[in-house]
Amino acid sequence: MNTKGAAYIAGIYEHPVRRADGLSTAQMHADVALGALEDAGLSLDDVDGYFCGADAPGLGALTMAEYIGLRNLRHVDTTESGGSAYLLHVAHAVEAIAAGHCNVALITMADRPLAAGAGTRLAGVDRDTMPNLPFQAAVPPHPMYGYAMVARRHMHEFGTTAEQLAWVRVAASHHAQHNPNAVHREVVSVRDVLDSPLVADPLHRLDCCVVTDGGGAVVVTRPEIAKRLARPKVKVIGTGAAVKHPDAGRIELLTSAGARSGAVAFAEAGISPADIGYASLYDSFTITVIVQLEDLGFCAKGRGGWFVADGNLIAGHGRLPFNTDGGGLCNNHPGNKGGMTKILEAVRQCRGEAHPAVQVARREFVLAHGTGGNLAGTHAAGTLILQAE
Amino acid sequence: MKQDRGFPPAPVVFPGDEPFWEAARSGELKARHCSACDTLHYYPRMHCPFCGSREMSWRKLSGRGTIYSCSIVERSPRPMAPVIIELEEGLRVHSVILDADVRALNIGDPVTLRFVPTHDGLPVPAFTTTRAEAARAYTQAARAEVEAQALRSQRVFRRAVVIGAGNMGAGIAMALLAGGLSVHLIDQAQASLAAAIGRIGESLGRDVERQRLAPAERDARLACLTSGQEMAEIANADVVIEAVWEDLALKQQLFAQIDRYAPPGALLATNTSTLDINLIAAATQRPESVVGLHFFNPANVMRLIEVIRTSSTSIEALDAARSLAASIGKFAIVVGVCDGFVGNRMMIARERQAARLLLEGALPDQIDRVQRNLGLPMGTFELQDMAGGIELTFRARQKAGKKDWLIEQLHARGRTGQRAGRGYYRYEPGKRRPLVDPEVTALIEEASRVEGIERRAISDEEVHDRLVLLMINEGAKLLAEGIVGRASDIDLVWQLGYGWPDWKGGPMYYADMLGLQSIVTKLTALRAHHGDLFRPAELLVQLAEASERISNVRTLR
Repeated sequence: MNTKGAAYIAGIYEHPVRRADGLSTAQMHADVALGALEDAGLSLDDVDGYFCGADAPGLGALTMAEYIGLRNLRHVDTTESGGSAYLLHVAHAVEAIAAGHCNVALITMADRPLAAGAGTRLAGVDRDTMPNLPFQAAVPPHPMYGYAMVARRHMHEFGTTAEQLAWVRVAASHHAQHNPNAVHREVVSVRDVLDSPLVADPLHRLDCCVVTDGGGAVVVTRPEIAKRLARPKVKVIGTGAAVKHPDAGRIELLTSAGARSGAVAFAEAGISPADIGYASLYDSFTITVIVQLEDLGFCAKGRGGWFVADGNLIAGHGRLPFNTDGGGLCNNHPGNKGGMTKILEAVRQCRGEAHPAVQVARREFVLAHGTGGNLAGTHAAGTLILQAE
Repeated sequence: MKQDRGFPPAPVVFPGDEPFWEAARSGELKARHCSACDTLHYYPRMHCPFCGSREMSWRKLSGRGTIYSCSIVERSPRPMAPVIIELEEGLRVHSVILDADVRALNIGDPVTLRFVPTHDGLPVPAFTTTRAEAARAYTQAARAEVEAQALRSQRVFRRAVVIGAGNMGAGIAMALLAGGLSVHLIDQAQASLAAAIGRIGESLGRDVERQRLAPAERDARLACLTSGQEMAEIANADVVIEAVWEDLALKQQLFAQIDRYAPPGALLATNTSTLDINLIAAATQRPESVVGLHFFNPANVMRLIEVIRTSSTSIEALDAARSLAASIGKFAIVVGVCDGFVGNRMMIARERQAARLLLEGALPDQIDRVQRNLGLPMGTFELQDMAGGIELTFRARQKAGKKDWLIEQLHARGRTGQRAGRGYYRYEPGKRRPLVDPEVTALIEEASRVEGIERRAISDEEVHDRLVLLMINEGAKLLAEGIVGRASDIDLVWQLGYGWPDWKGGPMYYADMLGLQSIVTKLTALRAHHGDLFRPAELLVQLAEASERISNVRTLR
């Protein structure tokens, strides 16, 4: 089913908190839900479809429906794919709206690992029952080693350098200086990144995203409703999802699931990467951005390092401005899942509501893309292509 | 010793995986094979993930492969590299590399299976490099030679006398007691004796608490321990070990007395780390029975003993000393008389150079990091802080009438090491992690000014070369001088006495890894800048020219 244009993103909200000591996870879900509905100009009673991931407390959507106060639900979806889950939620909301299952879909995300002292854990992962873990018991569980191995292999195959990786962080820092809520607002240089301590060779500390609390929400509606509302119209014209995994011993590190999710989304939208004026790219680590740029077709496989170098991702300077809110590297990576915030900044750009210092001129077509799970292991990619109308 | 840090959690054994874990117990790696589509998969499943068939069997894998990609765990209690291994059978698996030089890994490096124990003992698969395995094989061969030599003497030691109830004497007594000997401890001061006996009791008590020692065994050991002030007690001893303060005159005087009381055939040993044992042996009528036994501190824990032969020591006495060491579970490396013997002579050379590097522009944490990256458990300055090295150096300099501005300043400010909470580093109360202290940095910079040296940025490579190549050069001189008979003995000294990792063999094995020709070239260049200290040893030059390995060198039987 081609769902191009079947739904619009009518409301968004990003929780301003970065460390949620005085807040509960449920409160934060309610905060972002109300914020996004207010942005859209809709009310709780308008919501008939609800989407959330494993960060939602209790029995997920059901617990949240009661807590937030959603009385008219006829569709729920609790798809969980790590950080990319919320991009998949938007895709599923569009499909549900196209199929007539709901009219107003609310997607919420919120978590507080920092306040809970939970570090880089992902909500909802039960390690005791994971079939692969006994055979990798000696492998340290921190996700950064997987990304480090992708980076190392990328360097080996293509000659990608640590300096090129650093450029991704440099670009993000240039954007974050304009975001008062960003965790790291200081502009950094390539040298600063290389001088930061190695945390997982070849990744330095500044190659890694922040660990924060927070969240966000998105409201997706059918076109008739969106057109009645006061906000700028953001049409969803392409969606794609794909899963990649180690395939029982056939690990391949150079291509992510984004190669497939991106191809599907672009085909549906009927545009090409050259048409995109802004991209929100998952930036758990700098290498994640480089691999995704290649897989989404912004450059040839192996050329991502050269693509990002020399400030090419910086708004007002480079060819493809990315993560103009500062991204996960500098602004916010709530709950160790960066998919929601990727959607939010893409919508801001599409509406022309990003910070004036980073707002792109070419905002007709924007892209948001997420990679959830581990790039070196099992992960899912979600791609959204949005059009300003 | 029990060590839990760095051990992975026990694996969950899911139904159907039992054959995998049974194989793991015997060191084999297994994968499931599908007879329907003829494919292997990993980790094992009950069905084929490629065709869905359930006609599965187990296949043993070779356990060999190459690195597909890797990273490094920083600050791991044991060196660890997360990796993806491409096995010979084509499977790529997530794993780790352990017990290897994780800072020198490259994609494509050959690796081999090495199971690691977990908390409950069920081993889980990991890998190590074949380079590390080769270094360990070298170590095994070197150890086997030393162990074979220890079997040459049939001497049985039952009664030992230890003279000097200080820290070292008590440690040696504990080591002897653990080896089943009865020990009589002699000291002039009753208070020292009481303190030593107390300390031994406490130490054994701790072992009982930690369940390393049965209470009955502790009681048996304490029952074998006696003490007194009379030298005449030596009359029953099979071995006499003198462990008093490092003072030549005192030791000579003691050996004259020992000679008077000791039975014929007794092994007479002095525990010294620096003195000329020829002069001590000469104080007796039987210099052929006198050896040096350089125990490493703490003597009851450290496995290394340097056995020092004088110019008069008999083969029988040397074999007896080896046999004694083996009987108390220690490793004896026979060395000749020189300042510092093998281990300390090389270490002192390194430490002097490290002090020089401080003045030229390096800081303690850089120098220590370079050494830790090499695989050593700690660097020069951490080690000195731990062992009270500033105090020792200060005293030695005072005694020799030498000036050292930095040491004097550190000492005057009470920066005597970890115990004081500050030395070359500062330490949080109760913590051992060295933290950079701006006061020390300022002092070092001031020391450069005082010495009239202009500070400059020094690369890690230069630090490495000036410390490690100097040690290697010193090792080559030790071989040429006949102080030590086998290059591999130097390596064993460094492994057992200073924590040099087995996956890197030792300084001499490492020299061969670096390449002797390149070492000679680098030393020659260093000599041009820093003087004759770096003049390449004759032996190194000869071996380099002949393209031979130094780790194979043996100059004595």
